[in-house]
Amino acid sequence: MSHPLEELRDAALSEIAAAPNEQSLDAVRVRYLGRSGSISAWSDQMKSLGKEEKPVVGKLLNQARTAVTAALEESGTRLRDAQETAALANIDISLPGTPHELGSLHPLTQMLDRAIQIFRRMGFALADGPDIDTEWHCFDALNTPPDHPARNEQDTFYLPDGRLLRTHTSTVQIRAMQAAPPPIRVIAPGAAYRRDEVDATHSAQFHQIEGLYVDENVTAGDLKGTVEFFLKELLGSKTEIRFRPHFFPFTEPSLEVDVKSKALKSGEKWLELAGCGMVDPAVFQEINRARGDDAYDPEKYSGFAFGLGMDRLAMILFDIPDIRLFAQNDLRFLRQFA
Amino acid sequence: MKFSVNWLRELVDLPASVDDLAHLLTFAGVEIEGIERRGLNLDHVVVGQINASSQHPNADRLSVCEVDDGTNHKRQIVCGAKNYKVGDKIPVALPGAALPNGLKIKVSKLRGVESQGMLCSPVELGVSEESDGLLILAPDAEIGAPIGSLFPPDTILDVEITPNRSDLLSYVGLAREIGALTNKTARRPEIASPAVVRNESVQIAAPRECPFYSALRIENITVGPSPEWLRTKLESAGIRAINNIVDIANFVMLELGQPLHTFDADKLQGGIHVRLAAKDEKFLALDGRTYSLTPDNLMIADAARAVAIGGVMGGEDTGVTDATRNVLLESAYFLPSSIRRTARMLNLPSDASYRFERGVDPGMTLGASARAAQLIAELAGGKPATETVVAGEPPSAPADVTIRYRRCDQLLGVSVPHAEIERGLEGLGLTPVAKSADASTWKIPSYRSDLTREADLIEEVVRVHGIDKIPATMRSRFTPVSAADRDYDFETHLKERLSALGISEARTSTLIPRSSNSGAFRAAAHELRNPLSEDHVALRPSLLPGLLATLARNLRLGAASIRLFELGRIFAPQDGSEERRLALVFCGTVNAEPHWRANSKRALDLFDIKGALEAATGAPLSFRRANNDDLALAATIEIEGKSIGTIGQLNGKHAAEIGANAPVLIAEIQVSALQKAHTLRAAFSELDKFPAVTRDIAMLVPDELTHAEIFKVLQDSDEPLLERVELFDLFSGKDTETGDVARKSLAYTLTYRDKNRTLTNDEVTVAHAKIRERLQRELRVELRE
Repeated sequence: MSHPLEELRDAALSEIAAAPNEQSLDAVRVRYLGRSGSISAWSDQMKSLGKEEKPVVGKLLNQARTAVTAALEESGTRLRDAQETAALANIDISLPGTPHELGSLHPLTQMLDRAIQIFRRMGFALADGPDIDTEWHCFDALNTPPDHPARNEQDTFYLPDGRLLRTHTSTVQIRAMQAAPPPIRVIAPGAAYRRDEVDATHSAQFHQIEGLYVDENVTAGDLKGTVEFFLKELLGSKTEIRFRPHFFPFTEPSLEVDVKSKALKSGEKWLELAGCGMVDPAVFQEINRARGDDAYDPEKYSGFAFGLGMDRLAMILFDIPDIRLFAQNDLRFLRQFA
Repeated sequence: MKFSVNWLRELVDLPASVDDLAHLLTFAGVEIEGIERRGLNLDHVVVGQINASSQHPNADRLSVCEVDDGTNHKRQIVCGAKNYKVGDKIPVALPGAALPNGLKIKVSKLRGVESQGMLCSPVELGVSEESDGLLILAPDAEIGAPIGSLFPPDTILDVEITPNRSDLLSYVGLAREIGALTNKTARRPEIASPAVVRNESVQIAAPRECPFYSALRIENITVGPSPEWLRTKLESAGIRAINNIVDIANFVMLELGQPLHTFDADKLQGGIHVRLAAKDEKFLALDGRTYSLTPDNLMIADAARAVAIGGVMGGEDTGVTDATRNVLLESAYFLPSSIRRTARMLNLPSDASYRFERGVDPGMTLGASARAAQLIAELAGGKPATETVVAGEPPSAPADVTIRYRRCDQLLGVSVPHAEIERGLEGLGLTPVAKSADASTWKIPSYRSDLTREADLIEEVVRVHGIDKIPATMRSRFTPVSAADRDYDFETHLKERLSALGISEARTSTLIPRSSNSGAFRAAAHELRNPLSEDHVALRPSLLPGLLATLARNLRLGAASIRLFELGRIFAPQDGSEERRLALVFCGTVNAEPHWRANSKRALDLFDIKGALEAATGAPLSFRRANNDDLALAATIEIEGKSIGTIGQLNGKHAAEIGANAPVLIAEIQVSALQKAHTLRAAFSELDKFPAVTRDIAMLVPDELTHAEIFKVLQDSDEPLLERVELFDLFSGKDTETGDVARKSLAYTLTYRDKNRTLTNDEVTVAHAKIRERLQRELRVELRE
């Protein structure tokens, strides 16, 4: 015959198994294990039990309590799980997710950064110069003396004090060479200005990256290799690149660079992307005069310089039809580049 | 400059196709910017004559013409046009012709009447965009001749001539270059060298500005229209034919590159005086306008008055007219910089000044004069004087230049054979003066004054040798980080954090409208001396005008939630000194789009922009209330007590200008100050091992007591267990408590922790009680339970 505690235990276990929800389960717990529960009542009786009986009942009591507690826990978990599953079964997972609005970096910033990262891999450091500069930095030092046909004051914005808004970032070449002797290997991203009617491809302010490398034995081959590597990194290794002789007052020989790539919308058309050349010895001589030394001895050093139009590059790369979109900052435009 | 291929072909043998020619020139640095094909090349289209015309029996609008096509066959052609009369000559498309519009001509029936071809309009031939009927040809057109004979095919090259190559601004010059590049000899018109004399009829008082002047009198001319060949040549270059004398001068300029001027000799009084203008001298020019001159300008004068602005424009009352009988032909060499300054000052660019300011060939001055005289004799029956009067001396020939082969190889990165260098330079018209194993010295022709240094010769070698033959090499160098690198990296760091916070970057123009225009933050700005448009007059003294204009634009376009930032340069109003700034503008609702879980439709406010600035910069910013005329609510932003920027809300007037009906929040801050406060090196601090205990304090305080004051008392409490204080609730309003003083309720969570052990409840209670007591004592706040 079983002990009454075992009977109590079995009764509790079957009630637990039958409990349909958490409330009834809790009622079972209170009935058996609560302060005045029927199993708990045996604990109170322990004191009054005889010496032989005490350990037997104690053991049974423990077993009953452990078994019932475990069953309550197991059943509780099962009931909660079922409840949660039932609740989640009704969730419409097609509802839109909580919005997290991303900010965007301006496409020109992204373009400049891509270019800068490539040049940094090639060992170029950044250099910087002011937007407002002197005629000497913008023209004279770059072998474009007054009355030179390439010195286009008509297209230059002047300030009342005679300074100007730089017409190209080549001013930074001059500043970099004034500041430090060779070797010099820098790029200068920045704004330049043109006093010109604004249309789909011209704006008063535009952006360039200027590059300059002066060292011993720098060759036109190094220039070609640098420009080619950059353009292929930027536009893809299958990009075709060609160099054409051209004229800039501050380089000799001077070259223009065209690219063609099927990956671009322009497809089979050659696009003019950059101007470059070997630094004209007259530029070195003018730098030496300004520095008061012979640091840029044209017999010892040679160098190349290049300039890339970033607005045009971004327009080509991102299929942007009108340069004015950059300065308008329409949020619908900006967010396309998030 | 525009070049006719037909004309060029007269002067040099050209490559097989126009595309080959364009490629040749382009890769020699003479860029072809456009290729325009002109004329007609149509088979089976001939000149016909309408012999008879009658009404079509079945169609009111059609006629039936009998057309002579030059064969014995009389063609019957149905025609819809009305603009002809019997006897007119017209283009006839014969069966088998294919017109530019795709139409193929065959014998067919039109409303029951056979038509053996088609009479053509200019549109159908592709020579015009519009027309109102048949193309009526000249009465002397030869019946049966191919239509192409009336519209000879030609190709016009639009050639970009770089400023250093003024020698290419003529047909003879470009032909010479093509010859040099293809190893062919260019042909030149035969010009007899003229006899010259020096006398007082030409005097130069400004020898620097005009080193050399020649004048040739030609008598008994008949001014009239130029012959067809001359008109065609001028028109192919885009110059309108006027009369034989003017046309010849223009023709010689195109052919030889030397601009000429013709005076009506009978209107000149006495000899020619070349001099500088007097101060404020007035001059009535050919264009009917009066110019005011300065001693910077070179004038051609006679005994009585100025008759031309030298090299720029002739005078009104000495120009050639239909009545002119005798002319004085001027050919001169002017100082390029002088012409350039004058043409620019007077804003009078012309084909002549364009060439003079780039430098014409001093060896061509007299030749051009002789060439023009010869043509005037031929075409206008003129009789040139036997002697050309000259004054001054043409500039001396360019100095010899030496090229060192090793230097050339070093600069190009490839070894070019010496023989090839020499062949190339000789081809360009240079003649060797001395040669050695290491170097050669060259005499430079008068038309290549751009070749003055070794570098110039090396460039010529590159052009002739071919830039594509120089192998591309990869060359690098280790470069240490620069100050500009650090600036760039910090700016990038800021931009990335701002965009991660959902704020979009704008890049507005550094040039803004005039500062006197209304609008916020437009006060004093450095202005340009020569702005081009009202939109770009001043250098921005702040990023905010541009950002607010961008905000206005986006509001107009219907954006509901706008959060923008810009990082860029500004220019100090006093001296234009440049500084990097970061600015933010916020306006609209917190959420950009409606969403089913959006719990807030509130408008963006000061604390949104303040929080964004704090989160993005990570800098220890503090804010101090300030006054600003443009702002309804303003504070200066400080780091360690130093003012580095402004934050606030735009006042109602400016907000209305922008079209905003929600608060417009702005902030602008110096980037250099942020950069200084920023440390890229993050330091590790030990992770907490023991749990924290939190207790809240709620209090009622007078409205004017700030969070900062309460916060400071809490933080300065010297309670070692207190780790953190956070404001979690704020309520201010009249119904908080009765009483006449406006009060607000604040609630803070205080976090207590000991680094080395778990705190007991009692310890926290003691510490918390001290802090409560301190608050009451120092700020007299009313604590709530």
